[in-house]
Amino acid sequence: MNALDRPWVLIAEREITTKLRDKTFLGSTAVMLLIVLVAVIVPALIAGRGGADKIAVVDDAGAKVVQQASTTKGGDGYEVTRVADQPAAEKAVINGDVKAALLPGQDGYVVLGKDRLDSGLESALREAASTVGMEANAAKAGLTPAELHAGTKVEAKLLNPGPLPDIVSDFVNIGLALVFYMTALGFGMMIAQSVVQEKESRVVEILAAAVPIRSLLWGKVLGSTVLALSQIVVIAGASLIGLLATDQSDILEVVAPVAGWFVVFFVLGFVALAGLWAVAGSLATRQEDLGSTTLPGQMILMIPFFFSVFAGSSAKTIASFVPIASSMSMPGRMLTEDVPLWQPLLAIAILLATTVLIVRLGARLYERTLLQTGRRLGYREAMALDSP
Amino acid sequence: MLRVAGLTRRFGDHLALDDVTFDVVPGRMTGFVGANGAGKTTTMRIILGVLAATAGDVRWKGELLTHEVRRDFGYMPEERGLYPKMKIRDQLVFFGRLHGLDADHAAERTDKLLERLGLAERATDVLETLSLGNQQRVQIAAALVHEPIALVLDEPFSGLDPLAVDAMVDLLREEVTPEVPVLFSSHQLELVERLCDDLVVLSRGKVVASGSVADLASGPTTTYRLVVDGDAGWLRDVRGIRVRDVAGGTALFDVEDDTVEQQILQQAISRGPVREFGPERVALSDVFREATR
Repeated sequence: MNALDRPWVLIAEREITTKLRDKTFLGSTAVMLLIVLVAVIVPALIAGRGGADKIAVVDDAGAKVVQQASTTKGGDGYEVTRVADQPAAEKAVINGDVKAALLPGQDGYVVLGKDRLDSGLESALREAASTVGMEANAAKAGLTPAELHAGTKVEAKLLNPGPLPDIVSDFVNIGLALVFYMTALGFGMMIAQSVVQEKESRVVEILAAAVPIRSLLWGKVLGSTVLALSQIVVIAGASLIGLLATDQSDILEVVAPVAGWFVVFFVLGFVALAGLWAVAGSLATRQEDLGSTTLPGQMILMIPFFFSVFAGSSAKTIASFVPIASSMSMPGRMLTEDVPLWQPLLAIAILLATTVLIVRLGARLYERTLLQTGRRLGYREAMALDSP
Repeated sequence: MLRVAGLTRRFGDHLALDDVTFDVVPGRMTGFVGANGAGKTTTMRIILGVLAATAGDVRWKGELLTHEVRRDFGYMPEERGLYPKMKIRDQLVFFGRLHGLDADHAAERTDKLLERLGLAERATDVLETLSLGNQQRVQIAAALVHEPIALVLDEPFSGLDPLAVDAMVDLLREEVTPEVPVLFSSHQLELVERLCDDLVVLSRGKVVASGSVADLASGPTTTYRLVVDGDAGWLRDVRGIRVRDVAGGTALFDVEDDTVEQQILQQAISRGPVREFGPERVALSDVFREATR
């Protein structure tokens, strides 16, 4: 690649290699990876392999029911604990040695719990008791278990997977908004810091003498966008591996079609903000100034974030068209609702137009303020400045 | 040749540069002197395109200086600055590439310069761990790494001890080929006099003197100085001269035509031992003081 024609490629390259050697950046990425992996894998572990629940029984019939329940659940859901009699079973339940006890009842069984009964456990035992009982009754009537169950199997199949259950969709919406919010904020601060570092160390004058100031801006925006996207890809990859490893690949069927949309919304929203963050850096003269110069950027992120997390569904629909807010809410909506195609397309068009505007304005401000090393400037002040 | 033509720059009501015009000739070092606030840095920043001129322009070989050409210039700003946390070799390669070298060439030049500056074994050190003197060396290397076609150095020697100055001057002489015009500003006039071929004196945004150092500093003089063992008071009676000052055996006088000084010398010898006789050279600092008054 000829660096002479594209100095911004060089700037981006430096931005990326510097960051990849930055221990803080690597550390925080590692922590995020860990959190994501834990979030993906741990629930599966708890649900699947949390050890079998012990059920106390007093006779063979009870043991058979518990085994049937365990088989239905996949093999190791419940474990039979033999006790001598009913008082012993009650004692084991009270002491917490067993989760529940299955005792013979007047016409079938009684499930004994301590303070409450897990509904999954109760229904599993209920179903198993009925199966065992019916199979026994069927045998008396001369039917084999296969004959008894013939034609009763029900298989679930979705033609159009999703929308997800309410609680899951809330999590997905918040999660996607959070990913954009955190990434845009983290990398945004990184851009602003990188700009102000160049101002503080005065290297900016050599840079500005060597390449056009706009190229400096493009290079920074490009570099940080590549970094941010790669970080998301790495984390997405890790969660993918986690999902596959824990047999939750069905979630992918729902998520995969929206992933491409997410990238488009992410990149456009991120680039628009990156322009603003760079300006926040160039308005400052020292790191300490960043607190005030990055405030507008933080607001532009925070308000839509809380809106997209807490607003009602109609407000969320509106937010999914508002630039920046759309980056946080539209991908989530597409995952959890049936959104007609024109909606994301329109949202992208609006976002694209806004991004172009913001980036242009940003480039203008950046050019005017980058070499002002005297004191911190305000946005309004910067607008009024002449070109250098 | 680098030509600065009619540069004018206003900051609000303040006229920082007023119709500044001068040439920087290839292969010659041009010193740029003037009091603080005279406009030296402003001029240099305009040459490098970091600042825009209100009027006037900068020309390279007769053409308006474009960004592409300017990219091959070397610049050392008054406010020194590189990336404090970047390794010096990476840093110089980066600047070489930024100025248009390919990666291999930039690396080759970097290694050569680091070797030349005695910093080869510190190549992978982070800049901020170097002493200030060494940081300054890296700074000049950053201006030279891409084999610039012209050099603009703003106070390149400030803060250096005399040995470091000599080392840097050697480096410049070695690196700068005869096609390269060099403009450097300094307030150390003794240094400028020693190093520069040409001189531009700036005062309150205006060029008040320019030309070769030889012409400016020791141009045709009519003032002579005589030191004899006895009293030199007899000079007051000689015709064709005007005595400026006599103190014991030391006298300063102006001659009215070229031949008189030889007659005076003969007379002085005939009166006794002559310890000193010659034209009174004007020091650069006098030129400077005179010009910027």
